[in-house]
Amino acid sequence: MLHAKVIDIKKQKIDLEKANEFISSSKFGASIVFTGTVRELNENKKVTGITYDSHDTMVIKSFEEIYNELDQKLKIKDKTVFIEHVKGYVELGEISIIIAVATPHRAEAYIISRYVIEEIKKRSPIWKKEHYKNEDSKWLKGNPIQTN
Amino acid sequence: MKVKLELFGANRDLSDKDFIEFNLESKSSLKNLKKEILSYVDQNFKGNENFKKIIETSAFCSEDNNIIYDNYKITRDQKIGIIPPIGGG
Repeated sequence: MLHAKVIDIKKQKIDLEKANEFISSSKFGASIVFTGTVRELNENKKVTGITYDSHDTMVIKSFEEIYNELDQKLKIKDKTVFIEHVKGYVELGEISIIIAVATPHRAEAYIISRYVIEEIKKRSPIWKKEHYKNEDSKWLKGNPIQTN
Repeated sequence: MKVKLELFGANRDLSDKDFIEFNLESKSSLKNLKKEILSYVDQNFKGNENFKKIIETSAFCSEDNNIIYDNYKITRDQKIGIIPPIGGG
């Protein structure tokens, strides 16, 4: 089961409680909730916040493809995965992404959690503009999108 | 033929709007569109090398959200997204 969404921070909140509720089931003995947050220092510059931009439809498509690969490539059939990524301005310390995973045993949960975030970094069209203490801001370089 | 180029990430600095419109000759390809985008940078941003570098490393996507390549034929008015290098999470 998959929940995949881009959260427009002007209209909605990204919500850990919702993630925990979604993955909660007595058939699963292991769960991992990964969150990415805005950190204060990047390349020796003091960061005050990040504006995230996204191609929403392609992001959702990439989340679905990554989820399908958990079965097709990693052969993990029994799992629940919750993925939300924000778009818009996020302040220092706030959450930009939640990946919540539940599986019957811990080994698969760790594998999925890591696989999903690494693949999102390579394949999901999301961009960051960092804002700094001196009121300067800059789009981060990023890496060319990887396609299958 | 009109192509509405949708802008994301660093490419948003190319316009105050979310898109740029290009008029292409009939039977054009994505390769032709890329040339037009680069000459747009020449005309509007004095050939800014940073902008050009980002465009050259960008991918492109069709209206139906598939990645398209240089030989993609543009035979009607449409939207095309330009996808600069990514880095979410």
